[in-house]
Amino acid sequence: MKYRITHRTDYAYPELISLGYSETRMSPRNRHGQQLVLQHRLEIDPRPDYLTEREDYFGNRVQHFAIQRPHKRLVVSAITELDMLGAEDQLPLDSGMSWEQAVQSLAEDWSQGGLDARQYLLESPMVTPRPELVDYTRSSFPAGRPLQDCVRELMERIHRDFTYDPTATTLATPLSTVFRERRGVCQDFAHLGIACLRSMGLAARYVSGYLETLPPPGKEKLVGSDASHAWFAVYHPIIGWLDYDPTNNLIPMSQHMTTAWGRDYADVTPIKGVIFGGGGKHEAKVSVDVQRLD
Amino acid sequence: MAANPNSRLVAGYRSSQGRPDEMVLPNGELRGSWRYLAEALDSLGPEILRQRHQQASRLLRERGVTYNVYDDPQGLERSWELDPIPVVISSQEWAEVENSLQRRAELFNLILKDIYGPQDLLRRGLLPPELVHGHPGFLRPCHPYPSEFEHPLVLHAVDLARGSDGEFRVIGDRTQSPSGTGYALENRVVMSRVMPSLFRESHVHRLALFFQNLRASLAELAPNRERDEPRIVLLTPGPLNETYFEHSFLASYLGYTLVEGGDLTVRNGRVWLRSMRRLEPVDVILRRLDDDYCDALELRPDSLLGVPGLTEAVRRGNVAVVNPLGAGVLETPALNAFLPAISRHFNGKELQLEAMRSWWCGDRQSREHVLDNLDSMVIKHIHRAPGSNPTFAAELEAADRAALIDRIRARPTHYVGQEKGTFSSVPTLAGDRLEPRPAVLRAFLVGRQGGYAVMPGGLTRITGSPDGLSVSNQLGGLSKDTWILATEPTRQVSLLAAESTRHTAGETWSTLPPAAAENLFWMARYAERAEHGIRLCRTILRSFRASDNGGDGLDRAHMEILSRALTHVTATYPGFTRQPAPGEHISPLAELQSMLYNRQRTGSVAFNLQALLNAAYAVRDRLSMDTWRIINVIRAHQNRPQSGGTSSSADLNSDLNELITLLAALRGLENDSTVHSLAWSFLEIGRCLERGLLSSVFLRNTAVQSQEPALESMVLESALNHLESLNAFRRHHQGTPQVDAVIRLVLLNELNPRALNYQLGQLRLRLAELPQDNVQEQLSTEQRLVLEAHTALQLADTTALVSADAGTGVRTRLDQLLSRTTRLLSQTSQRLSQSYFTDPQGPRQLAAADSENGT
Repeated sequence: MKYRITHRTDYAYPELISLGYSETRMSPRNRHGQQLVLQHRLEIDPRPDYLTEREDYFGNRVQHFAIQRPHKRLVVSAITELDMLGAEDQLPLDSGMSWEQAVQSLAEDWSQGGLDARQYLLESPMVTPRPELVDYTRSSFPAGRPLQDCVRELMERIHRDFTYDPTATTLATPLSTVFRERRGVCQDFAHLGIACLRSMGLAARYVSGYLETLPPPGKEKLVGSDASHAWFAVYHPIIGWLDYDPTNNLIPMSQHMTTAWGRDYADVTPIKGVIFGGGGKHEAKVSVDVQRLD
Repeated sequence: MAANPNSRLVAGYRSSQGRPDEMVLPNGELRGSWRYLAEALDSLGPEILRQRHQQASRLLRERGVTYNVYDDPQGLERSWELDPIPVVISSQEWAEVENSLQRRAELFNLILKDIYGPQDLLRRGLLPPELVHGHPGFLRPCHPYPSEFEHPLVLHAVDLARGSDGEFRVIGDRTQSPSGTGYALENRVVMSRVMPSLFRESHVHRLALFFQNLRASLAELAPNRERDEPRIVLLTPGPLNETYFEHSFLASYLGYTLVEGGDLTVRNGRVWLRSMRRLEPVDVILRRLDDDYCDALELRPDSLLGVPGLTEAVRRGNVAVVNPLGAGVLETPALNAFLPAISRHFNGKELQLEAMRSWWCGDRQSREHVLDNLDSMVIKHIHRAPGSNPTFAAELEAADRAALIDRIRARPTHYVGQEKGTFSSVPTLAGDRLEPRPAVLRAFLVGRQGGYAVMPGGLTRITGSPDGLSVSNQLGGLSKDTWILATEPTRQVSLLAAESTRHTAGETWSTLPPAAAENLFWMARYAERAEHGIRLCRTILRSFRASDNGGDGLDRAHMEILSRALTHVTATYPGFTRQPAPGEHISPLAELQSMLYNRQRTGSVAFNLQALLNAAYAVRDRLSMDTWRIINVIRAHQNRPQSGGTSSSADLNSDLNELITLLAALRGLENDSTVHSLAWSFLEIGRCLERGLLSSVFLRNTAVQSQEPALESMVLESALNHLESLNAFRRHHQGTPQVDAVIRLVLLNELNPRALNYQLGQLRLRLAELPQDNVQEQLSTEQRLVLEAHTALQLADTTALVSADAGTGVRTRLDQLLSRTTRLLSQTSQRLSQSYFTDPQGPRQLAAADSENGT
């Protein structure tokens, strides 16, 4: 299935900005056998005076740009056409490897992939270890249970125990509050899942992307409309990275389009910047549109 | 040197139990390298040594050698403390240390290149990921480093101490922006002045070569090889930083422009220095800012100190930052636990210079070892950050000790246990005898093509007491000069070519960064404000004494006019403009004292002097040594304990005269010993502008309202006195002052340096000298504003100015002229600020564009 995704961010400033620098991570990745980028373009208005592109440490595509003339508005649109490949909604095979074996195997894995995965074992700026999370996680990880079963149950529990509530948290809300209040949004649930998995000694990463929200015939529409989305992935020493969406209690497949991944949200922020001038507060208006192409 | 039989300084010296000593060997004999010094100390005797110590302290104070202690009740700048007895190391021993240090730096350089490169050390298990991927000092946006640099680790500082076995050991490493080289050099300068013959005859290695190597190394790093003269700047966090003195000292010593983040800007992926509305390209940045603070876009969103976009400019190879961003990852004390194996891996050799034995708690066995032997450990965090000082577990109360163990168990990968060493002591002057103090030597290396050069010497720091545990300036320490004896007087220290084949661009006459321009401008303005305040207080004091001694109504009215003028000129409302409550008596002396000494009161003399000192401190590198000496006397005056409200008017008066002399000296030096460059222009602009403003406000409050003749002549005489024009007036006029003659002299006269006309004329000249944007022969906005004020003044008709309204007695035309001048000068100041000074808004983060709350 092919899709066109339009992700538009619109800043209006009360006063002129004399100088602005930005970094964007809005260019979806290719994923072998799963996702192919057919076309991608980034439209920036006003036109930047300086623009470069690179791959970051995690392999995400990053654009750095600067606008060096006075401006009062900045609109950044990322337009991507994607082909979601692979057999529709086929679950990955279960290797049967127990979670303890996975922990052990990763600790002894000196391959490039293993080394890369091991950085996701460690705490990161937005995911710091909490003792209460160990207790919460443990019940899904009894001795000898296959890793995939454990993680699937953890995802289900997060989905069941936590209420989706866009008013409950902001970007700055710490994980401990999310855990105590049992409320949050996809970003919080992804961070929560990552924290739980890392507390067990497993490598877990944050995935940003989009979700197609057209309801399949006969099924209920998924929560929320088109928006950027986030979930988590766990490293399986045999199969590789496996994605889980705790917000929707789903194993991401052809409806989940991946933009970028990192240790947590801070590594994959879609757009960030530093500005000079601009007067008082400003806000960003964001719209996301995911369209099927036939 | 005649031997002093009475002095038994050295013989009376007892080193501490269980500690090796630098001067005295365990068998009681003196180390060979110390013999000459020991003899000299004995022949000098304690009294002379104490004098030399005082002399050293005075020199350091005069030279403004300070460091800042955060939240220090003693005020921001604390004098640098230097013990007059140097540490002596023999040439032979130093050659070994030097060699080992070079190997250590080479090893660290290889580790840095690997971490920001292929990461083989991780793959081979020689470094755990926790100390790289999990370390806050590992900056992913800075990976990878460009491969062409041989020595990305340009500067390396190593803290050394001699252990109980007599061998030097490493206590820690500094790899971001090591501090201390400037203090080491200052210590040397001062020691060679207070102990000239001892220093000369000891044949001590010079430090200058190290700095030549540093200069050459930085010039080699400039990315634009075709440009002959790379521009190098020294980036400081600003005057509040603890080692700001050193930043400004090194900038002037090395000939680099001292800049704050706001002075630099990134355009088109290059770094530029803002100067006089122009941008000048920057090739190399010697930074004294921590890694992550350098770029709010990619490294640390809340940093206001750095240069947004810097990481990108580095990535594109358009600027070199020294040390490179991300080098802080090497500072982790945990590295020591892995160095022996890494050394074998890279060099096939064992480490020569051992570090204090260290155990990283991320390793289970090491952790158990640390917890089992906690009392013999110093616990350090893997990431050095404010508030993460080393903890001596044995010193802790039971509860704190338990909490420490909990912290280690909860996050073992964050902690390192280092064996608590016994360091050698050095003799230190304490009263009239020598006392042993544990010492740590910070050694410095600079990398160049071909290898590392070691500073022959370094910064020795000693603890505040004989049994002190750690040396830290933040905790109040003491320093010593370090003398490496040369075997022959002219021994070549290093085989590296000292002189670079490339020249570095010095600062051009037309370079002045915004922060410097702003501070020079305000330094002059605050000096002028302080002086006006003092003069006016002095005039009021005189008339107060006159009215006190049986003064009549006339004296009181005179005094009242002047007092109100003081409040208006200094904007210290309500002050003398306050209506007393019925029956209340306002004590003029109390108000004057508050005006003079209350530092918290905006507009007071003490407030303005403090602001003057702060501004001067921020442009220290641009002031002459003599100017700095005056600044220091003003500071000493400012810090003198106040007499607590009991001072008589006579005491006040002498105090005021002293301050006026100091400020006059400052002004004289400005003109006399400041090169007439842009820096001087901004001092002059600040001074003329402030003087014009203050005299306008003063005259509005003394000459606009006409008074009965006797009172008017008294007020005018005081006004002339205040504006330092009384003698000039008397030379040309007989009898009591008349308003038209006074107005001509203090407003319209072109030759009187206190007249408004003179200020405006000078301002026009100085503004015309500033570099302009437009090549067209057009005036800048600030030039237009001053021209308007100047023209209005010159066109004014004296007769019209002095004629008073018959009913109210107000000289309306004079009032209008003065208020217009005030307004135009204030606008000029605002324009200057917009054009030449730092953007007060600074950088901000773009708002979060968070749509991930959708699903």
